[in-house]
Amino acid sequence: MKIAVAYKWAPNPQDAAVGADGSVDWSRAKPAVSEYDPVAVEVGRRLADATGAELVGLSVGGPDVASPMAKKAALSRGLDSAVVVADDALAGAGTTPTGRALAALVQRLGDVDLVLTGDSSVDAGAQMVPAVLAGALGWPALTDVVAVSGTAGDLTVERAHAGGSQVLHVTGPVVLAVAADAVVPRVPGMKDILSAGKKPTEEVPLADLAGWQTAPVEVVATAGPELKVRKGQVIDGADPAAAVTALVAALRADGVL
Amino acid sequence: MSSTYILVAGDARISALVAAAPGATTAVVVGTRAVADAVATSGVGSVVWLGEPGDAPLEAFAGPVADLVAAAAPDVVLASTRPADRVLAGAVAARLGAPVHTMASKVEVHDGAAEVTRAVFGGIARQTLRTAGPVVVVVDGGTLGEGGSAPVEEVAAAPAPTVRVVETRAAERTQVDLGRAQRIVAVGRGLKAQEDVAVVEGLAAVLGAETACSRPLAEGVGWFTKDRYVGVTGQHVQPDLYVALGISGQLQHTVGARAAGTVVAVNTDASCPYFAEADYCVVGDLYAIAGALTDALR
Ligand SMILES: Cc1cc2nc3c(=O)[nH]c(=O)nc-3n(C[C@H](O)[C@H](O)[C@H](O)COP(=O)(O)OP(=O)(O)OC[C@H]3O[C@@H](n4cnc5c(N)ncnc54)[C@H](O)[C@@H]3O)c2cc1C
Ligand SMILES: Nc1ncnc2c1ncn2[C@@H]1O[C@H](COP(=O)(O)O)[C@@H](O)[C@H]1O
Repeated sequence: MKIAVAYKWAPNPQDAAVGADGSVDWSRAKPAVSEYDPVAVEVGRRLADATGAELVGLSVGGPDVASPMAKKAALSRGLDSAVVVADDALAGAGTTPTGRALAALVQRLGDVDLVLTGDSSVDAGAQMVPAVLAGALGWPALTDVVAVSGTAGDLTVERAHAGGSQVLHVTGPVVLAVAADAVVPRVPGMKDILSAGKKPTEEVPLADLAGWQTAPVEVVATAGPELKVRKGQVIDGADPAAAVTALVAALRADGVL
Repeated sequence: MSSTYILVAGDARISALVAAAPGATTAVVVGTRAVADAVATSGVGSVVWLGEPGDAPLEAFAGPVADLVAAAAPDVVLASTRPADRVLAGAVAARLGAPVHTMASKVEVHDGAAEVTRAVFGGIARQTLRTAGPVVVVVDGGTLGEGGSAPVEEVAAAPAPTVRVVETRAAERTQVDLGRAQRIVAVGRGLKAQEDVAVVEGLAAVLGAETACSRPLAEGVGWFTKDRYVGVTGQHVQPDLYVALGISGQLQHTVGARAAGTVVAVNTDASCPYFAEADYCVVGDLYAIAGALTDALR
C-alpha cells in the first residue's frame, strides 16, 4: 500500500524581479521544496510508519523538478521514493493542468488510496491543486487537515472548520490538503541528505500521462502589481513619544485620525 | 448572452461574486435550505439547491456539482475562497478542463471567450488572460448580498458515500469579518509573547480598530484565530488605516492589505520590506511605539 504526497519545486516570487510592464524575471529566484509541503511529507511519514505503507512523493513541473538537487531536497524530508514528471510543457503550468497531471500520475502509480498535499504553493498560492487533483480522480477532498489516523479505507481525519474543528470518517480514497501548522516538519540532517541520494526515483515521460491538457490560456496583457503610491515617510522611533507626536500629527493632517 | 454559475458551499456571503458575474447567473448551493434561501435574495437569477447534506461534509457534493455545471456549460464559474467552495470549484475545473484563476479583479466574456484580469504569483504582477472556453474564478466571496427573490429549484444529489462528519466542535472564539473593518492594527512575529497581544488590543481599542496578524501568529502558536490573518491565503482587507507592527512585509502578507488607505509600519529594522509599501515607516520598537501611541490617543 502506498501513500502519495504531492510536493512542488518552486521559487518564491518575493525573489523575482518584476518589470514595470509586468514581465517577471525568475533568474535570481532559486526554487526549493515549496514552504508548506514538508508538513504534508511529515504527516505522511508518520502515517506510513504507523501503517507500514510506502510514502511516495509526486511532483510535476519543468525540467528542474528532475534535477538531483530537487529530488534530494524532497527525499531528505522523509519520503521513501519519488516519481516526477519534468517537462517544459509543465513548467509554470496552471492549476488545472497541474492537478490533472498529478491525478494521472496517481492513477499510473496504482495502489494509492490517500494523497496528501500542502496547504498552498509558494509561487501560485492558489490552494486549488488538491481540489482539482481530487476532482480529476473523482475522489473527495478535504482541506485544512490537522490530524490523520487509521489506515486508508478507514481514516479518521480532523480538520480546522469555521473557527472550530471537525472530525470525519473516510472509508474510501481521498485527497487531504494538510494545514500549514498540522505538525512541525523535521529539519533534514546530513544523514537524511546522504540517504536521499540512494532512494529510488522515477521520471515518467509526459507522453505517458493522458488527459492533463486544458484549454489554452493566452496572455493578452501584462502589468506591474496594483500598488498605491505610498508616502514612504520615515519616522525615527528612537524617542517613542516624539515619533508618536509626529505620526499622530501626520495622520490628522491626512484626515485619517 | 453569457452565463455564470456561482458555486456556494454552506455560506451565503457571495456579494462580490454576484457583482463580478458576467451575464445570467445561476447559483448552485450545497448546504442547508436556509443557505439556499439566503442566496436566492442576494441578486442571483436562479438557485439550484442540492438538498440537505445531513452528515456529509459539503465537499462530498463536489462530484454532483461538477456534473451539474458540466451539463449547463456556462462561460464562467465563480466560487469564493472559503475551503469547501474551493473544493467544489476544483472539481468543476477538473471536469471542464477549465483554467482556475485566483486573485482576479475583472471577469469578462467576449464572443464566447473569457477574459480575466488577475494578480499572478502572489501579486508581483498582473495579467489579462483569455481562454476560448469556460474559466473557473476563485475570489473573496464578499458579504451577504441583497436583491431579488430568485426561484430555488431542488435537485437532490447524492454526496460521496465515503466521507462522513463524526463530530463538529464549535469555534471557541468569535469569528470576525475583517473585510469590513475601517481600521486594523495588525501584528507579526515582532511580538514576543502571547500575553503581549494585550499591547495590540490596547492600541486597537483606542483606535476603534480590529486586531489582525501575519500568518505565523495565527498558525502554530495560535495567538490569533485563523480568520484574523491577512495575506494571500488569508483575509484581503481594505481599511482606511492599517497599522502593521513587527511585520516584515513579505509579499504573501502585504498583498492582503494593499487596498488599505493609509499604511503605518512599525519595525526595528529600517530595511524591512514593508517600508517600501508604507506611508509612515516608524523605525522603532513596536512595544514602545504602540504604548506611546495608545497613551497619545487615549
Ligand atoms: C504559500 C504561502 C502563503 C502564505 N500566505 C501568507 C499570508 O496569507 N499571510 C501572511 O502574513 N503570511 C503568509 N505567508 C508567510 C509569509 O511568507 C511570511 O513568512 C510571513 O508573512 C512573515 O510573518 P512576519 O512578518 O510576522 O514575520 P517575520 O518575517 O519573521 O518578521 C518579523 C518582523 O518583526 C520585526 N521585529 C522584531 N522585533 C521587533 C520589535 N520589537 N519591534 C518592531 N519590529 C520588530 C523584525 O525586524 C521583522 O521584520 C505565506 C507563505 C507561503 C509560503
Ligand atoms: N507542480 C506540482 N507538483 C506537485 N504538487 C503540487 C504542484 N503544485 C501544487 N502542488 C500541491 O498542491 C498544493 C497547493 O498548491 P496551490 O494550489 O498551487 O496553492 C501544494 O502545497 C502541493 O502539495
